[in-house]
Amino acid sequence: MFSDLSEKFKGIFKRIKNKGKLSENDVKKCLHEIRIALLEADVNYKVVKEFISDLQVKMVDEKISESLSPSQQIIKMVHQEISNTLGSEKSDLTIHYKPPTIIMMVGLQGTGKTTSAVKLANYLNNMGHRSMLVATDIHRPAAIEQLKIFAEKSKLPVFSMGTQEKAVNIVKAALKFIEKKENDVLIIDTAGRLHIDEKLMKELEEINTQISPHETLLVVDSMAGQDAVNSAKVFCERLNVNGIILSKIDGDARGGAALSLRKVLDVPIKFVGTGEKVENIDVFYPDRMASRILGMGDVLTLIEKVESAYNEKEISRMNKMIKTNDFDLNDFYMQIKKIDNIGSMEQIVSMIPGASRLNLNKLNYDGKELKKIEAIIGSMTIEERSNPNIINGSRRKRIAKGSGSQISSVNRLLNQFNQIKNMMKKRKFIKNFPFC
Amino acid sequence: MEIKNIFSNFKNGLIKSRENLKGKIEQLIKKSKDKEMFLEQLEEMLILSDIGVSATEEIVNYFDKINFKEYSRNDFEYFKDQLKRMLIEMLNHSSNSIEINEDRLNVIMVVGVNGSGKTSAVGKMAFKFKGEDKKILLVPADTFRAAAIKQLDILANGAGVEIIKSTENADPASVVYDGIHAAKARKNNLVIIDTAGRLHNKVNLMNELKKIKKVAKKEAGENASLEILQTIDATMGQNGIFQAKSFHESLGVNGLILTKMDGTAKGGIVVAIKKDLNIPVKLISFGEKLDNLHYFENDKFVNALID
Repeated sequence: MFSDLSEKFKGIFKRIKNKGKLSENDVKKCLHEIRIALLEADVNYKVVKEFISDLQVKMVDEKISESLSPSQQIIKMVHQEISNTLGSEKSDLTIHYKPPTIIMMVGLQGTGKTTSAVKLANYLNNMGHRSMLVATDIHRPAAIEQLKIFAEKSKLPVFSMGTQEKAVNIVKAALKFIEKKENDVLIIDTAGRLHIDEKLMKELEEINTQISPHETLLVVDSMAGQDAVNSAKVFCERLNVNGIILSKIDGDARGGAALSLRKVLDVPIKFVGTGEKVENIDVFYPDRMASRILGMGDVLTLIEKVESAYNEKEISRMNKMIKTNDFDLNDFYMQIKKIDNIGSMEQIVSMIPGASRLNLNKLNYDGKELKKIEAIIGSMTIEERSNPNIINGSRRKRIAKGSGSQISSVNRLLNQFNQIKNMMKKRKFIKNFPFC
Repeated sequence: MEIKNIFSNFKNGLIKSRENLKGKIEQLIKKSKDKEMFLEQLEEMLILSDIGVSATEEIVNYFDKINFKEYSRNDFEYFKDQLKRMLIEMLNHSSNSIEINEDRLNVIMVVGVNGSGKTSAVGKMAFKFKGEDKKILLVPADTFRAAAIKQLDILANGAGVEIIKSTENADPASVVYDGIHAAKARKNNLVIIDTAGRLHNKVNLMNELKKIKKVAKKEAGENASLEILQTIDATMGQNGIFQAKSFHESLGVNGLILTKMDGTAKGGIVVAIKKDLNIPVKLISFGEKLDNLHYFENDKFVNALID
């Protein structure tokens, strides 16, 4: 459903004859595809409109390069535009010269404020600070417990006063509490709220006015749709939001909301949440996000995932195997098992740019499938495993019988293995990446 | 919150679009050269509601084919009805309801991504079905997230329903096993299971969920019913389709619970999900209070979207 942009572009440029500038028609077709890609990525409709019109001006003047194919060139251009909009410079937290630095987390319900608050405290402590968390979610059942329990796992202190005291008073008490302590950072976790909930927005405004946090971070779910800008806008208008944390990017949402927010609000995305563990917080990389939004796959993340699953020795061995095409069924089986640890084959394939081109049959190996494959390969002789080409009809019959499977399953396995072998032969590989 | 207030929420968010749309349709009928602008306005309204590119294209193409010159200015109501009809049609499903047969054990398992409102939904379902005289037992199988069990405990108290004991880091499948056996012993007829939020692309977590379902199904027995409901946050974008697809492939999702509809997001993602996967919305929620869960009604949802 979310088609490959580069595929679409290749279709448009298949018949390009003239060198020099892109024709107006080519530009129109490309923009149409980009527009769809951005909408499918959840970039806000109005932001897409503006973005496309800016792009149109640039594209018409663009000369066709000698070194890149037209589609590569266009993609590079769009990617650059998105990346620039997302912020070319890394944006960090402002640590106030006079401690404590006061950080307030705000946002809609369920975006990940509490988790992010603890992650941030841990992150800052790793940099040498001493953070104190403040529990001001007096609304949601067991919210204070949640913060306490999660923080406690990393030995991070939490200041709380139960649910009967006003949020702003809890913060004031926390400030007084740390006066004689060594904490130089105060991180305020607040209750999730709707931007249209007057009473709760006033609660935040009260903290803002009376406490003047140095950093107000809006936590936004990376899966958010078209409405993301609307709620974020209100938070920004009523408070001094100076940074965004984009959460749950370990999911596979394209994250177009990031582009919308940056374009409309001019507030930098400072951090991303990459999982449920306390160390799963990272700085924001605009170029990676740009690739993601375009549906180009997150190759860098994939490389990281693969690298963590394979050690260097294995990677160089794999690369050697691929280069010499010395890849047999034993290796195949081992790789499937490894891949199962990284994520499903389908997932991985989806992370590889241009993977749809490879037209692999549904390579989705679950545990059951693995056992089947194990049995089939187990019924082969050593020679058959090293040189699957010798596996003729009668051998297939024997293997099927020996493994308790159908001949069609054996055929399918051998076909898929050959496909992968061919795929490896044809593709250029990314350094250290065995499967491209 | 009364049903009346539900629609005032919709209306507040949509007044601007409605005025645009109404105005545009009227203008359109007067002079057909405004058609382009009308289609753009229509497209904008639909995309902004998160129903997605595919559903939007289908609707816009339909209106594109209409020769507006042939209609009088009084026909704009007709077009509005057409639009509503198309959206209702997209949401239609043979089984929008939740079957709770009191003569057997009914099990509802609530699943979904992190932060989508599962625990709240379980609390609200407890309240709702208690009001329908069901004998309920809650099973807090989110043993991962800090204080999740405590949270459900508090909601169970508020709803006045029983809840079994559970401890953090216990094996969720074991908790479910115990829960169902307890329900049978106590003669409960409705078990509602809360599970930990998880991203649908995490294979091991999805496998865990499969295991939980397997245990639930086995222990509940052949005569019991098992319904898998997935929570979908109204602010969710197109990734909602992938979420639903993944949960559906792993478990077989019987229906969606559309949560947080008291915000300004329109929740149109459920249209996209229905269109792609044919999974109906069964429940809808408009706020954090326990009494704020209602059976989903296609026409009411669409009326509020369009009107």
